[in-house]
Amino acid sequence: MQPIRDKDFDQLFKDAFADAEVTPSRDLWSNIESEIAPRKRRIMPIYWLSAAAVLLIATIGILVYQQQNSTNEAKQLANNTIEKPKQGVEAPIIKDQLPAVVEPVKDVAPILSVEAKPARTVAKTKFKQDVIKPIAKQRIVTAPEIQKQETMIAQVEDPKRDIKAQIEEAILKPREEIVTAVVATPVKTDEPVNDNEQNKGIRNVGDVVNLIVNKMDKRKDKLIQFRTDDDDSSLASINIGPFKIGKRKK
Amino acid sequence: MKLTRSYTINDLIEGCKAGDRKMQELLYKQTASKMLAVCMRYAKDRMEAEDVLQMGYIKIFQKIKEYRGDGSFEGWIRRVMVNTAIESYRKNLRSLNVVEIDEAYEQPSTGFDFGTLGMQDLMKVIQKLADGYRMVFNMYVIEGYSHKEIGETLGISEGASKSQLSRARAILKEEIIKMEGFGYATYTG
Repeated sequence: MQPIRDKDFDQLFKDAFADAEVTPSRDLWSNIESEIAPRKRRIMPIYWLSAAAVLLIATIGILVYQQQNSTNEAKQLANNTIEKPKQGVEAPIIKDQLPAVVEPVKDVAPILSVEAKPARTVAKTKFKQDVIKPIAKQRIVTAPEIQKQETMIAQVEDPKRDIKAQIEEAILKPREEIVTAVVATPVKTDEPVNDNEQNKGIRNVGDVVNLIVNKMDKRKDKLIQFRTDDDDSSLASINIGPFKIGKRKK
Repeated sequence: MKLTRSYTINDLIEGCKAGDRKMQELLYKQTASKMLAVCMRYAKDRMEAEDVLQMGYIKIFQKIKEYRGDGSFEGWIRRVMVNTAIESYRKNLRSLNVVEIDEAYEQPSTGFDFGTLGMQDLMKVIQKLADGYRMVFNMYVIEGYSHKEIGETLGISEGASKSQLSRARAILKEEIIKMEGFGYATYTG
C-alpha cells in the first residue's frame, strides 16, 4: 500500500464525519428546556407587572372618584344623620333628669341645642322625647305635618309647666339657673347672625340644621336657628309655637 | 438535513425565532445527533460532548434571531456548536498542557485500508489526542479553518497551529495503524 498523503488522510476524516450522527444518551432536551425557560419567565413578569400597574392605577382612580361622590352624598345625607343623634342623646337626658340634662346639652349643643336648651325645666325634656322623634320623621315628609306637631307641642307644653312647677318645688332651682344662662347668650347675638346665615356655605352642624329647618319651616321665625358665623354654632332662635326665644324683631 | 417532515426548515426557524417551545424541541430532536457527532470530535468523551451540546443548543435558541438566512441553516447551527466547543476548550485550562506536549512521533509513512475504519473508530482516535492537537486538527481538517484563524481563535501562533496539526496527523496515523493491526499497514520507512 502507498503511504498516505496528508490531503487524502484529511479527506478520510472529512468523509467519515460529514454525515456522522451520535444519538445523545441522555434526555438533554429537558435540561435545555429548563435553561431556556428562565428567559421566558423574565419576560412574563414584565407583562404581569405592567398589568398590575394598570390595575393599581385604575383602582386608585375609581376609589378617588367614589370618595368624591361619597363626600357629596355625605353632605346630602348629613341632614338625616344629624337628626338621629338628637334622639339618642335626648333619651338619656330624660332619664337622668336634672344633672344629666345639662351636660349633654353642652356636648350636643351645636346639633341639638335648640331642642335641648329650651328646656328650662325637667318637664320640657320629657316633652322633647315625645315630640322630637316625630320631628325627625316630619323633616322627611312635608311642611304641613310639622305644623301639626307644633300644635301638639303646644298641647304638651301645658302639662309640662305643671310638671315643671312640681319639680321646681322639689329640687330644680339650680337647674334653672344653668339652663337660663345657656339660653340667654344665644338670644343676644341672634339677630345679626340670622341675616347673614342664608348666604353662607355649610361650615358646621349649625349650618346643616339651619339648612334643613329653612327648607322645612317657611315661617319667619324658624323652629330652630343657629348662629354659625363663629366656629361654635350656638343657638340663635327657637320657635316652638307659644315658646319662642330670640325672635327677629323685624 | 432531514428537517422537512411535517414542517419545513423555515417553519422550524420561524417557530424558534418566535420562541415556540414545540418548534425548539423539534429542531433539537432533528439535529441533536448530528451536532453531538460534532461535539464528540472536540471533546474527550461523550459526557463532555453532551455538556457542550447542551450549551450549544441554548446558544442556538438565544441567537437564532441573528440567523438571516445566508448560508445553510445546518451550517449555522454547526458553527454555533463548534464555537461553543472551542469556547469550552478555552475555558478549561487544559490547553496549557497541550503546547508543552512534545511527543516525538516519527512520521510513519504508512498506508491504510480505510474501508475497514468506521467513523466510530476515527472518533475514538481523535478523542485520544491531546486537547490542543484535537482542536487544531478538527478546526483545520474538518471545519476548514485556516492556520491564521486557528491561531487567532486559540491564541497561538500560526506556526504553532501548523506544527500541532502535523503532529496530530502523525499521532492519528500511529493510532490507526495500531488499530488496524500490523497486517493492514506497511512500513516503508
